[in-house]
Amino acid sequence: MTAHPAHASTGTYLKVAVILSVITALEFAVIYIRRLTPILIPLLLTLSAGKFALVVMFFMHLRYDTKPLTFLFVSSLVLAIGVAVAVATLPGEFLIFTR
Amino acid sequence: MTNGNTGAVAGRRVAGAEPRTVYHSPPAVLAGLASLATTVDHKRIGILYGVTAFAFFLLGGLEALLIRTQLLRPHLGVVSAETYNALFTMHGTTMVFLAIMPLNAAFFNYVIPLMIGARDVAFPRLNALSYWIFLAGGLFLNASFLFGTPPDAGWFGYANLTTRPFSPGPAIDYWMLSLQILGASSIIAAVNFIATILNMRAPGMTLMRMPLFVWMALVVQFLIVLAFPAVTVGLIFLLFDRFFGTHFYDVSAGGDLHLWQHLFWIFGHPEVYILILPAFGIVSEVLPTFSRKPLFGAQVMIYSGILIGFFGFGVWSHHMFTVGMGPIADSAFAIATMIIAIPTGVKIFNWLATMWGGRLRPSVAFHYAAGLVALFTIGGLSGVMHASPPVDLQQHDSYFVVAHMHYVLIGGSLFGIFAGLYYWWPKMTGRMLDERLGRLQFWLVAVGFNVAFFPQHFLGALGMPRRIYTYSRGSGWELWNFVSTLGAYVLGLGVLVFVVVAIRSLRTAGARASGDPWDGRTLEWRTSSPPPAHDFDAIPPVYGRDTFWREKYGDARGQKPAPRVETPDPHGIHLPSPSGWPLVIALGLAVAAFGAIYHLALVVIGAGLTVIGAFAFALEHHRNPAHVEQVGNLGVDHRKLAMWTFLGSECFLFGTLIATYLAYKGRSVVGPQPHEILNIPLTTLSTFDLLMSSLLMVLALAAVQRGDRRQARLWLAGTALFGAIFLAFQAYEFTAFVHEGLTLQTNLFGSTFFVLTGFHGGHVTIGVLWLLALLVLDLRGRLGVQDATKVEVAGLYWHFVDVVWIVIFTVVYLIP
Repeated sequence: MTAHPAHASTGTYLKVAVILSVITALEFAVIYIRRLTPILIPLLLTLSAGKFALVVMFFMHLRYDTKPLTFLFVSSLVLAIGVAVAVATLPGEFLIFTR
Repeated sequence: MTNGNTGAVAGRRVAGAEPRTVYHSPPAVLAGLASLATTVDHKRIGILYGVTAFAFFLLGGLEALLIRTQLLRPHLGVVSAETYNALFTMHGTTMVFLAIMPLNAAFFNYVIPLMIGARDVAFPRLNALSYWIFLAGGLFLNASFLFGTPPDAGWFGYANLTTRPFSPGPAIDYWMLSLQILGASSIIAAVNFIATILNMRAPGMTLMRMPLFVWMALVVQFLIVLAFPAVTVGLIFLLFDRFFGTHFYDVSAGGDLHLWQHLFWIFGHPEVYILILPAFGIVSEVLPTFSRKPLFGAQVMIYSGILIGFFGFGVWSHHMFTVGMGPIADSAFAIATMIIAIPTGVKIFNWLATMWGGRLRPSVAFHYAAGLVALFTIGGLSGVMHASPPVDLQQHDSYFVVAHMHYVLIGGSLFGIFAGLYYWWPKMTGRMLDERLGRLQFWLVAVGFNVAFFPQHFLGALGMPRRIYTYSRGSGWELWNFVSTLGAYVLGLGVLVFVVVAIRSLRTAGARASGDPWDGRTLEWRTSSPPPAHDFDAIPPVYGRDTFWREKYGDARGQKPAPRVETPDPHGIHLPSPSGWPLVIALGLAVAAFGAIYHLALVVIGAGLTVIGAFAFALEHHRNPAHVEQVGNLGVDHRKLAMWTFLGSECFLFGTLIATYLAYKGRSVVGPQPHEILNIPLTTLSTFDLLMSSLLMVLALAAVQRGDRRQARLWLAGTALFGAIFLAFQAYEFTAFVHEGLTLQTNLFGSTFFVLTGFHGGHVTIGVLWLLALLVLDLRGRLGVQDATKVEVAGLYWHFVDVVWIVIFTVVYLIP
């Protein structure tokens, strides 16, 4: 048996959970604030990315685990985002280019 | 059960140190077919892959000969147009998915553990599962012949030809379902080999000391893990369109047929490298051995392989220049395609430099390796021609493309596979192949192949389209079609001669092979031929790149390394016990697939078999000591490494599903639209619920790690309960939407929304079942501190499902 790698403390987990809850509440609130409409999409994507990162870093322990795991996941994620952006922009304008 | 020693090892053994091989319950002594059906030995699974794939290869070859016979002369009626369509569809699908890929998998299975100094792969039972699922998929696809409905829409099955209105029978169902089954097999195997290669190398075997074949195999596994999800999603959409009336490929409902082409080729182009890179790896082993020189620029060869794999993801649209993507997109993909030729060219020149000045031994394996260098170059050059959109517009869907593709896949992949067969056959069977007959076989294949396919360049240039079942007199295509067909028969004869050579070798005509018949350079030659069940009596020492060569002859200055003492494991050699559950799971999948076409009851029976098999599979070796110590070279448990790799694949799966939702957003031609129906306050609550379940999951893991069983049980149950509450929210939401008039069939929004969120819900359901299984283990007192990794791996999956929902919540619900 090998020792378990050091993970966050219960206190840290609770703090992360509180932050996740607050961000979720913020996400819900900002869609009703009209003055934020011009920046709503980047704002929501940023909040979402923040939540994503918190769960992956602390709950999935990537912050505490060996670096190759981070490389494995992050490189797959970046490549997947790149391909997804290409597919998502398929109708009308493919990638950022007009047909 | 303790089995003592196998007693037949002729490899290098430390004097007086007899290895003790330990198997674990149930007893490992099974004979005959039962032994084969339950084997988890990587070598036997490799042979199973090889024999099965070669049988499919012969079938695909027979289909090719029928195609060529039909085209021998104008207006021949050997087969009907409909049969011709089925033949070219099944030929392509068979050769890609049932022949070349699994023949490569045969080498991966047999050779990789030996090359890296391991006793087996990281997950031997998963390895067996991959094979049996592959066999189930292959037999299921070919069963379509027996039912008189073989697929007939081409191997890349363009929508909307494959949709129900244009292909109403079950033919496409066979094709679509078999590709899903085969995809599952490939991804399971790829995750297994990534964990094996990264984590199970012998001490001293750094990544840069790994043989080129292992490196190319590693790149291929990543390509499989990351490329297959795109076509999986494309096939899921097709399945829903055909079975449930969704609109993904329905132009009248706002669908875009380019979606299929993109999803297919996002997979399809990396697939080309999945097929060719193993051959590059084989050649990189064969040429140095028979040139008696190290591989020229080995590190650059490794980087070139990685670059080919990476750029392979950025060139898929060069298959689509004719669809009208626009000049900028065309230019971007053209440039990326031309760039990928650079690392490929590096490999060609390095192989030439490896042979240059070497003491060449022209074995049959060397013939095939050198043949690949020449013939793949021809296919590569015609590929660079296609990289130019104006040229591609002329050549697209012509026989020029058929010639190019076969120069890559026969001149490249198949020549590499034959090189590997002649090279590693003595290791696998303990017998040599007849070199004299082998040379005849090589020349028949080489001449037949060139006579068959080089004229197809001319046919393409003369304007002959691919996939036509006959042609007119006076078209100018008669001569080259005649020549091409003759060449195809010579090629077929060459393949049959290989069968003779192989049978003669096995039926005692072949001389017995020593452990190192070729004076090899890598670790597989350090053990007997064939190797014992445990591969090596002691894990071999690694002295550098080409470690076995260094051990025998020293480095470039002839200086031999100081020999390291091989100490056998004092606890004996732990080998996993056989298992029949992989076969049961695969059988369940095949039955369910038949049920999807013919009767719902079969779906239920098949799904039941699969679920029962999966649970039995998961629990049968719960306390097997062979499974306790699984921390490898990366300092991480194999299971964690495998789960993170799988999650990388899941990123692509959900990324593609979400991207399709966005691509189709606002394109529904009828309502309701998202803003009219989505209940954001309710979904915010369910999102909060799922986030809190992740908190409970980490608390459960912490409790298991510190041995607090009461807390562990509490938090595991809590996580499962919160997961179930989330599913209840989703069930309520779906029911409400159906009452308000939004179903899968209503519009594009309904199709994309239900499939995306439904798949996420399916993942949550699997997570809940997994948690309940852990809970049952805990209630039986079988979830101790030593089992924490099991909880951690389940937790990783659970948290990933959570982060996917974070994205879905934002993209689907919040963004207007």
